[in-house]
Amino acid sequence: MSGYRFDRLKILVVDDNQHMRKLVVTILQAFGAIQIFEAADGQRAWAMLREANPDVIFLDWQMDGMSGLDLVKMIRTSSQTPNPFVPIIMLTGHTHIDHVRQARDAGVNEFLAKPVSVRAIMSRLVAVIEHPRPYVRTKGYFGPCRRRRPMDEYRGPERRAATAEEPKEMAAT
Amino acid sequence: MTKQLPIEIFMPPNILKAKVGSATGAIDMAAIQRAELAMETLKTEFNDWVGADVERLGACRDRFAEKPDPETRDELFRLAHDLKGQATTFEYPMIARMAASLTRLFDGTKPTDTIPLSLVDAHIAAIRIVFRDKVRTATDRISIAVVEELEARVTDALLGNVLD
Repeated sequence: MSGYRFDRLKILVVDDNQHMRKLVVTILQAFGAIQIFEAADGQRAWAMLREANPDVIFLDWQMDGMSGLDLVKMIRTSSQTPNPFVPIIMLTGHTHIDHVRQARDAGVNEFLAKPVSVRAIMSRLVAVIEHPRPYVRTKGYFGPCRRRRPMDEYRGPERRAATAEEPKEMAAT
Repeated sequence: MTKQLPIEIFMPPNILKAKVGSATGAIDMAAIQRAELAMETLKTEFNDWVGADVERLGACRDRFAEKPDPETRDELFRLAHDLKGQATTFEYPMIARMAASLTRLFDGTKPTDTIPLSLVDAHIAAIRIVFRDKVRTATDRISIAVVEELEARVTDALLGNVLD
């Protein structure tokens, strides 16, 4: 047993489908979470983010109005954001590798393709707790490092050329 | 020679770890079992949830048929996309596959006014029948034959082939 105190976390679940929200909330409650906030769209999520300042966000991609990706970009880069480092776990029915890349490039920490399962949700939670990635700020990007490889594995100036495409970093598990 | 902007890399404090306490990092099997039990309890509602989404899909189709514009198209796509993502969790894997086929029609490559309504209707009719007959496996032969035909028709439509 790992003994995580999920009851100490504030978790925001954002999905415009009430059934999926209920499913995720039920699973999180069974894990022991009690401070769970829900939002049915990006605008309400943004307001709730500023009110509740959650520790973790489960976020749907495809929503009416502001998409999940738009919200991720706001959280990471807006001057109004309460926490640009908040871990974001993106839940989505999109499964193509291009979508994984888009999510990664927006600043998502973990990607969870539907259908969801209890174990998949737990594994993403454990991943953001146990394996946080460094953050990167460049001219065009702010968010978690888009490479899973630990920084101490740097192998010289040709590293990027040698490991050019690594979208599997987020698709794995 | 232009000066490159620096790349700043830093590790924020691990607030999550500090909050949830030190643990082994292994999967908490007791928590998993509690959640799976909660899912079992929730299963009694799955049928109603899928039924509600199938009804909404039909209503979205009607709005799209009446006024095929980006708004009704997006609405239909989002609902089909929801079913694609969650119908398997709610024990209707064939509905998920049929909905996935339907979303391909709305992937942005076809102009809204060229999306064949007859093919949209064929998907929705198939989804309704799977739900009506409570087909909860991914191995039902008739459902597989139907969805394979739908997928082939969608491919044809996306290639610009004339539909029957």
